[in-house]
Amino acid sequence: MHTIDHYCYHSGLRGVNAGLKFAYAAATMLICLISRSLAAAALVLLANGILTVKKGRIPFPFYRKLMLVPLAFLILGTAAMILNLSKTPLDSYAVSIGSWYLTGSRNGIRQAVRLIGSSLASVSCLYVLSLNTPMPEILLVLEKLHCPELLTELMLLIYRYIFILADTASAIRTSQNCRLGYQDYRTSLRSFGELCAVLFVRALKRSNDLYTAMEARGYDGKIRILHEKRPVKRKELAAVIVFELILTGVALWIR
Amino acid sequence: MTKKEKAFLRATVAFTILFATAPVANAMHIMEGYLPVAFCVTWGIICLPFLAAGLISLKKRVKENRKTITLIAMSGAFIFVISSLKIPSVTGSCSHMTGTGLGAILLGPAAVSVLGIIVLLFQAILLAHGGLTTLGANTFSMAIAGPLVSFGLYKLCEKCKLNRKVSVFLAAFLGDLFTYCVTSIQLALAYPSESGGIAASAVKFLGVFAPTQLPLAVIEGILTVVIVIALESYARPELKAVGFLKEV
Repeated sequence: MHTIDHYCYHSGLRGVNAGLKFAYAAATMLICLISRSLAAAALVLLANGILTVKKGRIPFPFYRKLMLVPLAFLILGTAAMILNLSKTPLDSYAVSIGSWYLTGSRNGIRQAVRLIGSSLASVSCLYVLSLNTPMPEILLVLEKLHCPELLTELMLLIYRYIFILADTASAIRTSQNCRLGYQDYRTSLRSFGELCAVLFVRALKRSNDLYTAMEARGYDGKIRILHEKRPVKRKELAAVIVFELILTGVALWIR
Repeated sequence: MTKKEKAFLRATVAFTILFATAPVANAMHIMEGYLPVAFCVTWGIICLPFLAAGLISLKKRVKENRKTITLIAMSGAFIFVISSLKIPSVTGSCSHMTGTGLGAILLGPAAVSVLGIIVLLFQAILLAHGGLTTLGANTFSMAIAGPLVSFGLYKLCEKCKLNRKVSVFLAAFLGDLFTYCVTSIQLALAYPSESGGIAASAVKFLGVFAPTQLPLAVIEGILTVVIVIALESYARPELKAVGFLKEV
């Protein structure tokens, strides 16, 4: 968690308008999802890889590791899609078990392959956004999209508190390890439970202190933040529009 | 056994071992781009009334006492952090709690629906678990359906005067199981099986995810009990502050 947050503040694409990045990610994802075209997926993967690793200067090993995060879900989900238990064999493959067949159809496998390709492509779109845009700027975009005020305010506060609590949790874990916590499975469960309980107590105490501190600085129900202005550059806007047009073309031409 | 059957048996054993030990970090978040657009939108719309109800109730609480805003935000951050911590697991794989069962028991389902969608958004952006297009579907299974079951069961057990430990375990365990069933059904609705339709597909998804999700639900139940016991033993004032324990 620290790492994605760390990289997005150092990204080479941080200066690009957040709204533009958001629109790019959303439009590209939509084209991938609607067309489910493998050619479009390959183009998107390539373009996003270049954007993130070359332009954004995110280290490639880290990017590769992130791309593998949804792997477990992908393998299990796809397995469920292409394995069928049926009395009649389908046209791609069939393994007989007693009077039943473990079987799949060509069409089903083709659909699964397309699904894998386009899902990975949309994951790379998500990373273009999350690895190159700090959270406060994403929240600003949400505010412009007329997200309820209470929701964006809560998000801002939660985003700040996450790091405080994560540090506290890791400090508690270190001291538990020093004091023979997590020795075997039984103690691990107990240690983990105690960690969470202590974390909860600390969180509530902290929230009291924070409220006092905010009130002392004139909090009146709204948190105002000065945002850096990053206007949309004409060249970038043109590049995004051209890319989306090419992508739509590819998705339509090569099914 | 014929040769083919032997090979099949071997393959299934290998398959099970492979996935019982593979890293299954939050395998029940539907990944980015996995659902068709129509389903993403539909699940999003289904979530809206629950979110609106949650927001209205939160707004009321904040208006009554402005101090609750930091309290609610801290609780949200707490749910996020415990769901990002690696939990002790038998197989050595790395897995995480959902934390929403605990949240529902401590804070009530209205608050959890709002905090849940925020936590899921942060998980997608900061941890790469789940996604933006599947946010609606994931919110429905993890932040609405699961917590509602947990909360309902907890209240029901309380009415039946069941032991608190048992009721907490049942609430967290069954809430987790329900989340996993809902996710499987969501996947099945989007991808019905070629032979047998939606029902057969749901059974397939349930079966494929069972080896990772069943132990996880048990562990989540046990951990929630341990956490609640620890909280009760040295955080009574805080529990009263969030409304979990009644003022005596």
